[in-house]
Amino acid sequence: MSALEYNGGSVIAMVGKDCVAIASDLRLGTQALGISSNFQRVFPMTDRLYVGLPGLGTDVTTLYERFRYRVNMYTIKEEREINPETFAHMVSSTLYQHRFGPYFIEPVVAGLSKSPTGALKPFIAAMDLIGCINFAKDFVVAGTASSKLYGVAEGLWEPDLEPEDLFETISQTLLNAVDRDAFSGWGAVVHVITKDRVISRTLKARMD
Amino acid sequence: METSFALTGKGYVIVAADTTAARSIVKMKDDQDKIKELGSHLLMAYSGEPGPSNAYIIMPTQPTDPLLSFYSGDTIQFAEYVERNIRLYQIRHLYPLRPSAAASWIRRSLAVSLRSRNAFTVNLLIGGYDLADHKPTLYWIDYLGTVVEVPFAAHGYGSYFALSLLDRYHNPDATLEEGLATLKRCINEVSKRLVVSPDRYKVKVVDKDGVREVEL
Amino acid sequence: MARRYDSRTTIFSPEGRLYQIEYAMEAISHAGTVLGVLAKDGVVLAAEKRVTGKLLDLSSAKEGGGGYGGSGEKMFLINSNVIGGVAGITSDANSLVNYARSVAQRYLLQYNQDIPVEQLAQRLCDMKQGYTQYGGLRPFGVSILYAGYDPHYRFQLYHSDPSGNYSGWKATCIGANNGTAQSLLKQEYKDDMSIDDAIKLVLKVMSRTMDSTTLGSEKLEIAVLTYDEAAKKPKAKIYKPIEIDGLLLMHEMSKKIEEAMKA
Repeated sequence: MSALEYNGGSVIAMVGKDCVAIASDLRLGTQALGISSNFQRVFPMTDRLYVGLPGLGTDVTTLYERFRYRVNMYTIKEEREINPETFAHMVSSTLYQHRFGPYFIEPVVAGLSKSPTGALKPFIAAMDLIGCINFAKDFVVAGTASSKLYGVAEGLWEPDLEPEDLFETISQTLLNAVDRDAFSGWGAVVHVITKDRVISRTLKARMD
Repeated sequence: METSFALTGKGYVIVAADTTAARSIVKMKDDQDKIKELGSHLLMAYSGEPGPSNAYIIMPTQPTDPLLSFYSGDTIQFAEYVERNIRLYQIRHLYPLRPSAAASWIRRSLAVSLRSRNAFTVNLLIGGYDLADHKPTLYWIDYLGTVVEVPFAAHGYGSYFALSLLDRYHNPDATLEEGLATLKRCINEVSKRLVVSPDRYKVKVVDKDGVREVEL
Repeated sequence: MARRYDSRTTIFSPEGRLYQIEYAMEAISHAGTVLGVLAKDGVVLAAEKRVTGKLLDLSSAKEGGGGYGGSGEKMFLINSNVIGGVAGITSDANSLVNYARSVAQRYLLQYNQDIPVEQLAQRLCDMKQGYTQYGGLRPFGVSILYAGYDPHYRFQLYHSDPSGNYSGWKATCIGANNGTAQSLLKQEYKDDMSIDDAIKLVLKVMSRTMDSTTLGSEKLEIAVLTYDEAAKKPKAKIYKPIEIDGLLLMHEMSKKIEEAMKA
């Protein structure tokens, strides 16, 4: 039994047309025993940047608090919001700093990054527990249902989805994947980040 | 074996814990209070449980000797450490920590301890009534420093029986009498089905008027 | 005689005084005025900018992250629930502001809630007090006004000085002409003031205490802390120059209006 799988939980992020989406389940358990169906593991870092932290429950909280600290200090000193790329490297280096006693988390970063011209570009990335970054153009998955998520996402995802279609695609991918995983599920939450707003919805899922 | 329950209701949280103090297979005491009153509106049930939740997970900080997990000596030290620090905050700043802040502080203490050479193996249920927003709150915390706010919770072997009962019978708008009736269902089920079930429990309630002990 | 007790901050003079601290306070009373007024639904801070001139490069005044408007010369966002207004040696102030921000973030890390305003003031005072007692160092030449909100005491206004003393106020003033401003505030302050009344009072007092006869964004900074009922959290706003001119225009205190009236 790996510490990464002890509490269960999964996260997925997808790229759309001028938008990105990130979604996760809401289960927290101790192995097969369910404890909570309202455990958040996706957190807003700025208005246009979210981070998903699937893995060991205690490290979800610890890392979220740590990243919040770093991002707040960055924002207040720089007087501007952090870029998703910058944030991803911050996450990565934080994880690598603990190379020989790691946090049991495989983070997913999703956001819109601002280019010097002011245009917004979708950004997603995933990492392993020691901070090796996977920059992807389509989708990234992590957590106990990751193998199932890969399969469903491979079948459902297509390029240039509009926000509403992206929402449908990511929701169906997540729900169908976590239904095949005993350690994920128990409700889900989806955030679609567009250039002028973030659409956050809680999904009704199978509760078994 | 060690078991604790907690559930929220309309304006209150009930926290219950068994009263046995065991060492290995021997029952040393059967009237131990394992629920600390951390403040006027804050309760903490603590248990250092043996069992599957900490025996199977492979972590460098886990005691390798399976007998070690039967020692609960550290639980009391940790509970007193928490109790004194929460009290110190109130003395220093005249107002107490809110339940959410207290839970965060306690969680952090456990998370820091987890990655030290001698980690505390303490599981907690924090029940509190927040005087700022007038809401009863309950936090489930395990020895790893996992924290989650829940409507009802349990620790120990009893949790395997009680949680499914609470799924069925818990009502967030229940009166105190109804809440205590649900608690009794849990206790009875554990007595009926668990081989090594505790026979006595201490039950405490926190609501807008503060903490108090109730007899079942 | 006094000279012998001047050079060390940590040594009492025979009259029982700590000269270096008194000198630090004196330095502050020559700095640009900063004043704060507590209203029932918010807190207002205003400051007089001293470093001006048409050759000064202000392009570093950025867009502002986090939606509060970005810090000014004397106004700093310390935490999402606290704005600080500083008077004294700017470099000392920068270092203290940085310290305060770290303290606030550490509190958030430990307790998952914003630091109560008084605790933040206390932490800074612990730091300032240390420099009046441990040898070989000079005290911080900075007074700070803290405008903040917390659920314990709602809106609050604190003042801390180089000695490490702090106190809570309904309205107060630090820096040059603080005596005049204080007495004016004493006359005009009313207990049930709204945030708009407080802004009006602040502008009135500022126009009397500042050297220049007319107010304008090039010499004035304004910050307001209110509570956002929809988002259920405090809302800090440090006004941008153009917004200050708008505010002055609204309260008919603008230079432009006076010029127009003269013409």
